[in-house]
Amino acid sequence: MQINGVQIDDTYAEAFNMRGTRVIITAQNHKWAYHAANAMTGFATSVIGCGVEAGIERELSSDETPDGRPGVSILMFAMGSKVLMQQLETRMGQCILTCPTAAAFSGVESEDMISLGKHLRYFGDGYQTSKLIGGKRYWRIPVMDGEFLTQETTGMVRAIGGGNFLVLATSQPQALAACEAAIEAMKQVPNVIMPFPGGVVRSGSKVGSKYPKMFASSNDAFCPTLKGIVKTELSDDIESVMEIVIDGMAFEDIAKSMKVGIEAACSLGAKNGIKRISAGNYGGKLGPHLFKLHEVLGTK
Amino acid sequence: MSALTLTLKKSPQFKLSCVGITPNKLAGLNTTQIKNLKLGTSKNAPLLTDYFEVAGDDASHIIFKSSSSQLDNIGFEMKSGQITIDGDAGDSLGAKMRGGTIICKGSANDRVADQMRRGLILIDGNAGEYCASRMIAGTVGIYGNVGAYLGFSLRRGTLLLTKTPSAQATWQDCGTHTLPFLSLLFAALKPLDSKFTKLNNTRVQRWMGDASQNGKGEILLVQP
Repeated sequence: MQINGVQIDDTYAEAFNMRGTRVIITAQNHKWAYHAANAMTGFATSVIGCGVEAGIERELSSDETPDGRPGVSILMFAMGSKVLMQQLETRMGQCILTCPTAAAFSGVESEDMISLGKHLRYFGDGYQTSKLIGGKRYWRIPVMDGEFLTQETTGMVRAIGGGNFLVLATSQPQALAACEAAIEAMKQVPNVIMPFPGGVVRSGSKVGSKYPKMFASSNDAFCPTLKGIVKTELSDDIESVMEIVIDGMAFEDIAKSMKVGIEAACSLGAKNGIKRISAGNYGGKLGPHLFKLHEVLGTK
Repeated sequence: MSALTLTLKKSPQFKLSCVGITPNKLAGLNTTQIKNLKLGTSKNAPLLTDYFEVAGDDASHIIFKSSSSQLDNIGFEMKSGQITIDGDAGDSLGAKMRGGTIICKGSANDRVADQMRRGLILIDGNAGEYCASRMIAGTVGIYGNVGAYLGFSLRRGTLLLTKTPSAQATWQDCGTHTLPFLSLLFAALKPLDSKFTKLNNTRVQRWMGDASQNGKGEILLVQP
């Protein structure tokens, strides 16, 4: 299969079950909503080292938020509910409570509701106030800029993490340009985030290592500088590989995101050095969700 | 289904207790059972049908039509649903309330929301003395004037006013602020049939009290 001269490998991305939540952050203006959201989703690229994978889903206008202020929606994913709850509380306390004018609201309804500001309220030292409005409980916590407003809980849902595809190009700038085009297109898809810096990761990993304490290490088969010495997946004309990882609320969301991302990357075409699109997997042994590239690209 | 409407046939000569006429107490009762409810607890207490025409069948929303200030204890121990009072209410409106919404389109007498724990009461007219006395939590809005001893022994809760209350030693002025939660509250009030739907200014003067209790309640005076 080829798109615009770019070869699409007959392979698949392998993804995992995760727990996810959405939080809506509002502030006096978008500038401060982004300050809060960027802090909350900072150092959240991979569950391997960060506990959660998080990112900004999209910007929200004033008519889309509960309190009628500008906002952004955040998605956060973890391998289990316990970690998600712990990370959400920590990040709420350090990133949203602290950010001038910011407020936080639930962005997803679920039977499983987890603490958003439920425990954070104790920062109010007895002066916190609860209000039940429209069947939802909110906490008002006195802070130095006025009052911090947060909903008590947010929903936790079953989600999927680790959807991905690889862009193989003849040079590093060309690989990056294709990934940037892909990310811009994928940002328009709801219910997904691309948690790595700028949405792109260069250090794809394989399971295991020669070092016993390492459970993941560099994906040498896709490292262009090792082509001559390892069992490489790269042809002579590939000099750079970059990966886009996607976490989403449902299989269909990730599949749609992969489709628009791959198509955007391929739009640069072989003439601009984009040679192949592949995907990362572990032989189908680790994750129950397989995103077959050819099937995904046939998704309407 | 239409709201259960209780139309007052005649203004009672004496105070009439409306204890028990709440959505939670009337849930599951048919019209005959509702008509035969006793108003009050005495042996010779009148029946509901003696004073009210009964129409409608949805007890989750009770409407008192042609209501009078002789009707005490409307919404007493109410837990859910809505009561709309098309007229005035007597003493102890929403006393010991535990949830739901009461909208009074006229005025209410003394001790509105006495010992109220949860829920929303909106009064388009005036409220009498000891409004929100011994209140534990919840939200009470009074669009008109409010009598003396507002929030006497109140522990927590929000009293939303549009007219300045009389000063009290046990309520402390905390200044004028823009409170973000009010935009949520005002949005929730918009669908209701009340003067409070007009409010959209989240800037309020805030008093905290009653200091004779734990002082964690608040009076919010909406700024013009």
